[in-house]
Amino acid sequence: MDDIRSSPDRELVDAVLANRPGAFERLVREHQGLCWHIIQRMVRNPEDARELCQDTFLRVHQCLHQYRGESALKSWIGRVAYTIALRHLQHKRIALVEPSDDSDDYALVENIGDGFDLEAACADEETARHLHAAIEQLPPLQRTLLTLYYLEEATIPEIARMTGLANGTIKSHLFRSRLRLRGALETRTGVAA
Amino acid sequence: MIQHIDDHIPPFDDAAQEREWLAQENAMRRERLQLDSTGDDARSRRYRLLARTLREPLPDALPADFARQLAARVAAGPAGRSVESLLTLALAIALAVAAGAVVAIYGGTWLPSFAALLPAPHAPATHWLLALGGCLGVSWLLGLWQRQIGERPN
Repeated sequence: MDDIRSSPDRELVDAVLANRPGAFERLVREHQGLCWHIIQRMVRNPEDARELCQDTFLRVHQCLHQYRGESALKSWIGRVAYTIALRHLQHKRIALVEPSDDSDDYALVENIGDGFDLEAACADEETARHLHAAIEQLPPLQRTLLTLYYLEEATIPEIARMTGLANGTIKSHLFRSRLRLRGALETRTGVAA
Repeated sequence: MIQHIDDHIPPFDDAAQEREWLAQENAMRRERLQLDSTGDDARSRRYRLLARTLREPLPDALPADFARQLAARVAAGPAGRSVESLLTLALAIALAVAAGAVVAIYGGTWLPSFAALLPAPHAPATHWLLALGGCLGVSWLLGLWQRQIGERPN
């Protein structure tokens, strides 16, 4: 668990609050990757994402005294980044999740697939591009959850702390988006579902 | 901001979906540990390819000196205010001056009408309003004091 009073997180926060030289820069450096992953996946526009990352850390600096150490600093900063990106999407009237018909995706459940040589397909740059395009086409929330889960290696409870979503909801989003991406891959490789 | 969230992850109601979920999880774990994929079935290999793609770093990262620049901006404090905030401040001052000038010029005709609307100094309503104001003030001061306690490093 991450509920530790004398953790490195607590020490770093105390150093920033005490205005120790280099402390805030260290905090930013340690968490800028997470912040970028959340915001860039949510808003997709690099210019906006850079600005929102800046806003996130300014807000973190402003509100750091509210950090009580009850969750990891990573989750706390992730929550700030997620909230800021969410507000940006709401302001731009961009839907976080799209209502979609999942029946096609669910057709793949328990379909083991045939012995198609996927390794050969992977070597095909075209397939990789196709998969990246399919990821980009996912709704902002699903893209972000996948990135947190795979790239940041965050657990579902950690993602729940960042997004405020229930564990079951996150699990369901991850499940459906992976199924959908698998479907996109099978379409590309020409394998019938 | 901090939430207490249960760490339990509920299983799917549908057994087939739960099995598919476990296949997804297993493929992700195997890819993360870079285990040999020779014995994997086609479904697992697809999920592993997906995992590999999702673990690739995102393009267009933040600039290399992002942390340093931001720390310098924060350290500059109020002196590093943006042009927008300075313009907002100038506008607020101009509005305050204009309001003061309007009151000074035309206030003589309005103020008696407003004064007539106010309750008499010894009326019971005035005492209640003062009591309410006092309560709000004490509550605000307590909040401020609690925040200052919270700001102190452990």
